[in-house]
Amino acid sequence: MMPLIEILTPKNLNEVLSILSNHDKVLKIIAGGTDVVTGLKQESNRFIDAEILIDINHIAEVKGIEQRNGKISIGAATTFTEIYKNQIASKELPILKKAVSTIGSLQIRNRATIAGNFVNNAPCADTVPALLIYNATIEIESINSKREISLQEFLQGPYKTQLKKDEIVTRINIPVPPKTFVGDFYKLGRRQAVAISRITLAVLMELKENNINEIRIASGAATPIGTRFPDLEKFAEGKVVNDNFLRSLASKIGDEIIKLTGLRWSSEYKLPVVQQMFYQMLNRMTKRIK
Amino acid sequence: MKNLKIINVRFFAQTSSVLRMTGRELMKKKFSVVGTNVIREDGFDKVTGRAKFADDYKFDGMLHAVMLRIPETHAKINSINYLEIENDASIISIITSADIPGSKKVGMIKNDQPIFCDEVVVTPGDVLAMLVGEDVSRLRSALSKIKIDFSPLPVLTDPKKSLEPDAILIHPELGSNLIIHHPLRKGNIEKGFDESDQIIEQTYTTQLIEHAYIEPEAVIAIPLGVNGVKIIGSIQNPFSARRIIAAVVNLPLDKVQVIQAQLGGSFGGKDDIMCILSARAAVAAIKVNRPVKIRYTREESILESYKRHPYILNYKVGFTNSGKIKAMKIDILADGGAYCSMSPFVTWRSVVQATGPYEVENVHTDVRAVYTNNPYTGAMRGFGSPQPIFANESLMDEIALKLGITPYEVRKINGLKAGSITATGQKLQNHDVNLLTVLNVAAKDTDFLNKWKKYKKDKSIVKKYDFTKSVFNDSQFIEPDQLIKKGIGLAVSYRGCSLGAEGIDAAACYLSFQNDGTAYLLSGLAENGQGLRTTFSIIVAEELGITTDNIFYLETDTSRVPDSGPTVASRATLMGGGAVKNAAEILRGRFEELIQEEWKLKSEDEIVFRDNKILTTDNRSLITFKDLCKLAASRGINLSTIGWYKSPNVDWDEHTGQGDAYFTYVYGCQIAEVSVNLGTGEVYLDKITAVHDPGTVINKLGAEGQVYGGVTQGAGYGMLEEVTTENGLIRELNFDQYLILTAKDIGEIKPIFVEGKEIYGPWGAKSLGEPTLELTAAAISNAVSNATGNRFFNLPLNLEEVLLGKKLRPVEVKRGSLR
Repeated sequence: MMPLIEILTPKNLNEVLSILSNHDKVLKIIAGGTDVVTGLKQESNRFIDAEILIDINHIAEVKGIEQRNGKISIGAATTFTEIYKNQIASKELPILKKAVSTIGSLQIRNRATIAGNFVNNAPCADTVPALLIYNATIEIESINSKREISLQEFLQGPYKTQLKKDEIVTRINIPVPPKTFVGDFYKLGRRQAVAISRITLAVLMELKENNINEIRIASGAATPIGTRFPDLEKFAEGKVVNDNFLRSLASKIGDEIIKLTGLRWSSEYKLPVVQQMFYQMLNRMTKRIK
Repeated sequence: MKNLKIINVRFFAQTSSVLRMTGRELMKKKFSVVGTNVIREDGFDKVTGRAKFADDYKFDGMLHAVMLRIPETHAKINSINYLEIENDASIISIITSADIPGSKKVGMIKNDQPIFCDEVVVTPGDVLAMLVGEDVSRLRSALSKIKIDFSPLPVLTDPKKSLEPDAILIHPELGSNLIIHHPLRKGNIEKGFDESDQIIEQTYTTQLIEHAYIEPEAVIAIPLGVNGVKIIGSIQNPFSARRIIAAVVNLPLDKVQVIQAQLGGSFGGKDDIMCILSARAAVAAIKVNRPVKIRYTREESILESYKRHPYILNYKVGFTNSGKIKAMKIDILADGGAYCSMSPFVTWRSVVQATGPYEVENVHTDVRAVYTNNPYTGAMRGFGSPQPIFANESLMDEIALKLGITPYEVRKINGLKAGSITATGQKLQNHDVNLLTVLNVAAKDTDFLNKWKKYKKDKSIVKKYDFTKSVFNDSQFIEPDQLIKKGIGLAVSYRGCSLGAEGIDAAACYLSFQNDGTAYLLSGLAENGQGLRTTFSIIVAEELGITTDNIFYLETDTSRVPDSGPTVASRATLMGGGAVKNAAEILRGRFEELIQEEWKLKSEDEIVFRDNKILTTDNRSLITFKDLCKLAASRGINLSTIGWYKSPNVDWDEHTGQGDAYFTYVYGCQIAEVSVNLGTGEVYLDKITAVHDPGTVINKLGAEGQVYGGVTQGAGYGMLEEVTTENGLIRELNFDQYLILTAKDIGEIKPIFVEGKEIYGPWGAKSLGEPTLELTAAAISNAVSNATGNRFFNLPLNLEEVLLGKKLRPVEVKRGSLR
């Protein structure tokens, strides 16, 4: 049942920050509402205490996509449809675009926002692995402070982040990777649309004469939250790409996931599939580069 | 109680007074409207949001009712204490079992389901009582203040344990958990196995599924004082609802008026549950003397509504080396859940059709339905056929593989033909027995044999995952060009039309022409989204040579038209359509008499009704249809009538399972073409070719719509859908977890109709709704086997089943995001 909640619609970021500085009430920011509204309806503990919802859909400071100083800056309340249709994002961040295209349905993409995806920090958040391999950083503001940290650092655990009560994520900044980098995104769901991810994988790499110069690997849904694999990346760097190596890299992700996740009811399915599909993905990518 | 007996009297011979096609009709080949594409008359209203569904109705002074439940699967209720809400002004009335003036327990067949469970809860959907007031949210908050003292009872969720001597009894007063046992004995089973060269024994299981109609349950009861009560609701079967409501509120049938609102999907699912909700609303409305609405959330709908029976099916089949089946021993156990509902009829269809559409000399079948504490199961599109079809059609492929012949050949050798004797001892006659025709058409259209052989050979080694070593070795990786494998599979089925020996089978229709040539039309069967109103309008239009826009289909209302039985069993076109045609024929006869007299024609055979005009066979235009109505009215001719159609004889011996179970049958063949991802277990549906003989197609657009919907639903059953429970509690209470296929999951669906000759029904039109759904899962399973070389015995073929050959279940019922 939907509780009675006050909804505020501030006109600019300063108003948002001043509302957030009021500690007497339980406040929640709402943008697309695809997590908040469903969470309220399902009486989720994460939302049910909310007394005030702050609607940030009309705050210019947290909207839009721009390119400056080699970075692409995406406003926190930019919808997935806006990202998908944006020319800069499409050209410079194809992996993010692919991740965005797999989310929910058109109706959900029309409402759901990029920051909402990682502020909610569900294990299955589709854009998180893509943002992680792009080394995304996020700007966080409160009435008294402003900080920029890496997304990886921001994410703490399932449905947990560093965000403090008086803070709001305003922008996501993504350094544009050099043209020599290639990447891909993979999602497995139980169906082809409106599917919660069972496994997501994102990879970005640069080859130099068939050697891996740099590789970034992230997964979601198979791990407790979207995660990079630093050990795996270190293991891969400098290695010659051949089929044997790709197989050993793919089986190593199995090890890494067991370390992070432990064995769960779903491991019997997810572990083999993540290795298999990671291998298939690496194979496709390296073939494309060659 | 008296009313219920009508339905309970089954398995008896019917008297005959059947409309048969006249020679003139059989010769008539050219239709003007029948068989064309006619857009549904309710289509625009539905897609533009103008259609009025039950929840759209509001009345002055209307109150709402919310349900009191406990999250227990089996518990004795010691006491319910309402003290804390007694002075709550938002509560106008607390409705309990004590408020029921009539039957406190109801049921479609057996009266085992309480309207309010104030003594014992036998499944988590059970409702203890109801709060009535103006504000739903305040009523819901008040629910938590009611103190319920209960003692949990042992829970029985495994149907295999239901009949064990020490099993707890779900309904102790019945003395057993057995709902029904249908035996079928034909020939000599031992002799049959002796004559067989080979024997296969196999167990199959099918899952619990939800109808997933898009509109959750909603109903309003309006008290009419001495005139009883009026009900407007999302009701599949208004006459069944009337019977149950009348019994519960203790009123005669004429004082209970049930009106069907536009229905947002049913698929067999808005029967028992809507009867019960209507009865609850009626009890409350009469008590408080104000209109009362009940409207369910999706969660309540999935929690309380009945589902499709999960089956455990044991098959033993003996066959010769030349592929001829000699004997079939079948043992089926259906989980009926907590209440009887339609289990006896659902499982009766299973016992009739369990061998599949094959000639089998020796058959020994037992089908049982049992009580458990699981969600109760009842009618759902398919009605006891998708489960055995999955088993017997998988089995046919296994026989073929064992003998090194094709799935096509094994079906051709054993398939039913004209004059064949079915498992129930019925000789198939008086209609085109088109099983092999649909098989041939489908096989040819898909190039089945070549593809099947090619894909079978083309199988790479499918990796068996060994979970003891969770990290892969090199050999477990699949070569990229081997990741996706194609497969093709087929399934055939036959289906008895309409109710068969379930009970009385007759339908009525009201048709009334106005003096300007327009007409009111109303059938006693209900529009449940299948397009019945349009089909019936086409029948009138065809018979009288007018266009469908002259026909206004009235609101379905039990007080306006005779009881025509339930709208189930794909019987509407056949039975309801028969009644419509009868009505149109009666009026046509009156018109013909007038025309003959007026224009001094020698014979009525000279009269042609066409293009809204009346002509002679030599093309002389006599009068417009509009003016004919005016003329007839001025002569005092009655332009209104009730049409009637009654099924011919069927008979059934319930001890041997022998008899003419249904008066006619339809035949279908579906071929699934799939791509299987060997790395993930994903199955992509590339194409389904659905060849059906529904008799004459009345509305081609409607018929194709049935195929698209039925195939999609059948594919969801085959690949994805499943309601799972933990100790009787359902995990998937909304569509975020209960997944049905989306448009993106379905490839091409190609409907092909083979219109076989039939003497019954309007121009030989029979059934299509359920046949389209019942065999898709089996065809897909056979296709996935063709692609992977692995066989599947347990529906659905979800990711884990295809990859690992088993299901995996989360430990927690509640999801991570809600904890």
